[in-house]
Amino acid sequence: MKKSLNELKRHALTAISYMLPLVVASGLLIAIGNLMGGEVIEDYTQPFTVASALTSLGVMGMGLLAPFISGYIAYSIAERPGIAPGFLMGLIANALGAGFLGGMIGGYIIGYFIRWMRRTWKVPKWADGLMPMMIIPTVSSIVVGLFMYFVVGFPIAWLTEQLISFLENLDESSRVVYGFIFGVLGHIDYGGPISKVPNLFADGLLLEGVLEPEAIKVIGGVVPPVGVTLGWLFSKIVNKRIFTKVEEDAIKVAFPMGLTMITEGVIPIAMNDLLRTLFATGMGTGVAGAINFFFQNGSPVPSGGVFVIPAMTKPFVALTALLAGSIVTGLILVLIKKRITEEEYESLQNVDEEETDLSGFRIEG
Amino acid sequence: MKLVAVVACTSGIAHTYIAREKLINAAEKRGHSIKVETQGTIGVEGKLTKKDIEEADLVIMATDIQTTGNERFEGKRKIKVATNIAVKAAGQLIEKIEKEI
Repeated sequence: MKKSLNELKRHALTAISYMLPLVVASGLLIAIGNLMGGEVIEDYTQPFTVASALTSLGVMGMGLLAPFISGYIAYSIAERPGIAPGFLMGLIANALGAGFLGGMIGGYIIGYFIRWMRRTWKVPKWADGLMPMMIIPTVSSIVVGLFMYFVVGFPIAWLTEQLISFLENLDESSRVVYGFIFGVLGHIDYGGPISKVPNLFADGLLLEGVLEPEAIKVIGGVVPPVGVTLGWLFSKIVNKRIFTKVEEDAIKVAFPMGLTMITEGVIPIAMNDLLRTLFATGMGTGVAGAINFFFQNGSPVPSGGVFVIPAMTKPFVALTALLAGSIVTGLILVLIKKRITEEEYESLQNVDEEETDLSGFRIEG
Repeated sequence: MKLVAVVACTSGIAHTYIAREKLINAAEKRGHSIKVETQGTIGVEGKLTKKDIEEADLVIMATDIQTTGNERFEGKRKIKVATNIAVKAAGQLIEKIEKEI
């Protein structure tokens, strides 16, 4: 059970890894175009501006999101033959209003269908070349495509709509709670596999035009490294040494990386004192998330850290959330981390690896 | 031992490369040679050659996503782990391999 869940997740993660550059480029194109006063071009026979060209390209790029998710999930499951039919399923999802979720489900269904075809369908030798070129793409698109159109498509579209109206109608106090939870979950393992799940959710909602979760995600990604840096500054001010020399060097790397939303720089610092650091950064990203969602700041761009703040719907809220979250993280770190001695400060050795259970992995073959 | 490894994480910009460093450090510290291929967002770097793979005693696949070129390792002994394992427990992973190979 756990194994098959992991497999499903692996396929989704593969698709996201292909999708991210598309979403970043499209989101920034829209943001830049909009800032310059661009609008979506409706009629290409009329003259249009550079700004409108950028906005339109970005919007078209966002329209590729569902096909990308579907196509690359199918690729991950069934390899190359999955790509073309997978893209088609994403187009169906777009057309029915089933968006991101529809694209994911379509990708899974057609991916496993094609894998089954590849394993079980036998054709005469002369028809070998026809399998990948004609039989697989055509048959799978007909079977799964009709299934999408007539069976699963509309229920998914309905679900998507329910979810969006739920999020849009949250009152102020629930927004604080959900923003906090989302902020904590989205960065609980500093860009690792757990945080990919809420982040996937944010990317999906972006496609539906709900921008707030994306802002929580982007700002939350910057909070841990900036918060740890502030923690180091605060510790200097109150004269309580809490980081070793090795960790100080790590902070100098983590800070600039962190500004671009690469949270991973915090990992070497967190590893040495996992629970305390996690608590401090978790509170910080939670507070930032709550502020973002309460004031309904949205981000049209899913990645890029502080550099996309100007593109957000409420840049000032974004800055406030970032500062507040980072200060919370920094203060908690200074309060709860143990003071370290001169000797510990100079010790070059990072603490040994944490004991990890590797018994689930086997050498194969 | 001669080892080869493929690493690939989801965003393909940070974990992948941390995992590469950890694996190289852990393996070399214990006197093994290792070559690591990264499949990040920028594409494949440090591509394993046919010779690398032929000579290797074991293939480490530390991947969160579907990687390309997996058919190269057909018939080789391999161990598959999440990228995260290489990031936080590369040393223990190499020790385990030493014991079990």
